[in-house]
Amino acid sequence: MKKMKGIGALSIGLAFLLAPGSAIHADAASDKLTVVVTDEPKSLDPCDTDLSGNSRILHNNITEALVNLSPADGSVVPSLATGWRQLDQLTWEFKLRDDVTFHDGKAFDASAVVAALKRAQDPALACEVGLATLKGVKFNAEAVNPTTLLIKTDIVEPILPNKMSAVDIGSPATPNDGKSRSPAGTGPYKLAAWTPGQSVDLVAYDGYWGDKPAIKNATIIWRAESAVRAAMVATGEAQIAYEIAPQDGTTEQDHAFPNAETSLLRIDAEIPPLNDKRVREALNLAIDRDGLVGTIFHQDAQKAMQAVPPSVFGFNPDIPIWTYDPEKAKSLLAAAKADGVPVDKEIVIYGRIGIYPNSSESLEAIQAMLADTGFNARLEMLETSPWLKKLLKPWDKERQPSILQTQIDNTEGDAVFTLPNRFTTDGNQSTIADTRLDTLIAGASKATGDERKKLFEEAFSYIAVDAVNIVPLFHMVTIARVAETVTYTPDVQAGNEIKLKSISYR
Amino acid sequence: MSFTYFLKRAAFAALALAALMTSAFFLVRLTGDPVNLYLPVDASDAAREAMRVRLGLDRSLPWQFLDWAGDMLSLDFGTSLWHNRPAMDVVLEALPNTLALGAIALTLAFIAAVVIGSIAAVNAGGWIDRAVNVLSQAAASVPDFWLGLMGVLLFAVTLRILPTSGFGGPIYWILPVACLFARPFGTLVQIVRGSMIEALNATFVRTARAKGARGGRVTFVHALRNALLPAVTVTGDLAAQFAGGGGVVEVVFGFPGIGKLLIDGILKRDFAIVQASIFAVAVVIFCINILVDMLYASIDPRVRVE
Repeated sequence: MKKMKGIGALSIGLAFLLAPGSAIHADAASDKLTVVVTDEPKSLDPCDTDLSGNSRILHNNITEALVNLSPADGSVVPSLATGWRQLDQLTWEFKLRDDVTFHDGKAFDASAVVAALKRAQDPALACEVGLATLKGVKFNAEAVNPTTLLIKTDIVEPILPNKMSAVDIGSPATPNDGKSRSPAGTGPYKLAAWTPGQSVDLVAYDGYWGDKPAIKNATIIWRAESAVRAAMVATGEAQIAYEIAPQDGTTEQDHAFPNAETSLLRIDAEIPPLNDKRVREALNLAIDRDGLVGTIFHQDAQKAMQAVPPSVFGFNPDIPIWTYDPEKAKSLLAAAKADGVPVDKEIVIYGRIGIYPNSSESLEAIQAMLADTGFNARLEMLETSPWLKKLLKPWDKERQPSILQTQIDNTEGDAVFTLPNRFTTDGNQSTIADTRLDTLIAGASKATGDERKKLFEEAFSYIAVDAVNIVPLFHMVTIARVAETVTYTPDVQAGNEIKLKSISYR
Repeated sequence: MSFTYFLKRAAFAALALAALMTSAFFLVRLTGDPVNLYLPVDASDAAREAMRVRLGLDRSLPWQFLDWAGDMLSLDFGTSLWHNRPAMDVVLEALPNTLALGAIALTLAFIAAVVIGSIAAVNAGGWIDRAVNVLSQAAASVPDFWLGLMGVLLFAVTLRILPTSGFGGPIYWILPVACLFARPFGTLVQIVRGSMIEALNATFVRTARAKGARGGRVTFVHALRNALLPAVTVTGDLAAQFAGGGGVVEVVFGFPGIGKLLIDGILKRDFAIVQASIFAVAVVIFCINILVDMLYASIDPRVRVE
């Protein structure tokens, strides 16, 4: 009898303990959504939307820009601005909506944009948008009247509207003496809470000027482990999980989508033997891309021949994709060796841990392929900080010959966001110094329309075919796991933007 | 334990802390420059240099050290680069979570190890003893990380009785506690079993038995009291390890503790967070050591005399 009592008490205890668990796994209410991402945002300041961790939470959820880029073709579409035109080489005019208010009650008008643009370019604040997207050009905004804005530049800026798509407009009350942790924007959601280390909670903004979102409350949480993120959707704790590793993303709920990233290996073409073009060609011919896709890389990844995906303006569809030809690679190496090129010298492959799922495995496979062809390659996997030291200038003069694993994203839709830093003599990540290429890229950056397209295409062709200083691998995909109860189709911008207002329950 | 003894310990601890913090200062800076991590890769060299100047990283290491040492004396740990808040505020939010997690896991491990280890010792050589041996060796050697993911798979995904991860009510603590429980449990069972077997064969136990003392009383009062000492010592060491957080477990479960904070701080080159975390953990370890000494003295009167 005593024993029975004990078991009874144990059962009651267990039931009590597990009761809250059952509640957790009940279907989420139709106006609540939980999204799980990889990392806590670094900042929630409207001027820090150049890195995806911040942008995913802010952009088009809490804060908005004057314009957006269409995920379908990269064209510029209205948002807080209803229209725009170029008045002269250095001046653009934007017409703004007149029915918009910030979450803190302040009215959205031209002077708010003037303040936001000035803030984004303030060197003391070191805003991501100012340091990256707006870099190299001075943008002076001027309010003609509440709904008319002029933006003047010091040099010709043919894609000014594209660049404005990255400048999120915060309330004029946003402090100018430091970064904000409590942003007030014009978006469909306002910030409800940021509990450090745990979650960011958003709640629908009743005064939103556009269509009201179906989801009233959204929570964004972060978990480092892909398997845990995937499991959270399986258990109903989250409805959307991003960046699921291929090995964890094998269910019907897992959707692979192109993420505007291109994986490649950057060749340091200054150091022998990699300063010999035949050796660089041999590197490309030695890699069995068909063998990598569907195994280590996701089956939907597309073989690449340049540093941007087809969605980017300036992409050249006519560059031939490298074939896998180890025999030809061997003969190129032999010819170079005969001419005294030190092809036996050790080449380091610098990889970055976690740059994409299976990043180490991909380089282990590539190292083996290179060894089969006769290269003496050593793999060194680095975490982000030392990897950045290898990526960015200045480099050590006495360095070893190396190739570096990298991944280039271009969600802005124009080749100018990829080429100058990576492929011109002055570029801070560039291993190439070629005046012909410098001229091509500089000309393309200033040009408009068909001329711009043609020059960028030429530049990509020059890099891939003439200079051969990259080993292009794949236009990548990301896997998002989406609960069956939810309607959401991730698009090419989903790497930088969780479009909460496009999500609803079935 | 006398007050003088405590003061002596505190003085040694302060010296050790100064040495620890000095090495933390230099070691964390050897891991690389945080500037590249915090600016977009497209940022210009001028912007990078401006940030270095703003953070004082452009100055020579000795100057940086002097400045930092001055701030440390006034317990100013600086601002976290990632969190953009005073580093000690961030640390003090995470530390109680880790201490609670560690305390629960370790207390449960200690109690379970004492009971199971004693049972194994009493039945030394029998099948129960052998089973306990296998179980405890497995528990002591299973990696936290693997155990965590298996726990998620079994209890969250398959059985759906526990959440996969997160932070909140008691239900969220079960899997992290279970993962942190395994290793100390396995280790302590072995220790308790060994010292209990020794104690049960000791002369004073045999004398007690000869005088007619009952089996349970002999085992759990006379022998256990003596056998507990090594277990308490090891538990103290384990507690000190736990103060630094079960890093991997906290990462897997998204548990906002000091272990996760420290790992993130190192990966993100957030010097202020790393230094403030190390300081807080070192102070806690000092307190744990004092507590263990006191506990030791209360179990073994001979320690008090020494």
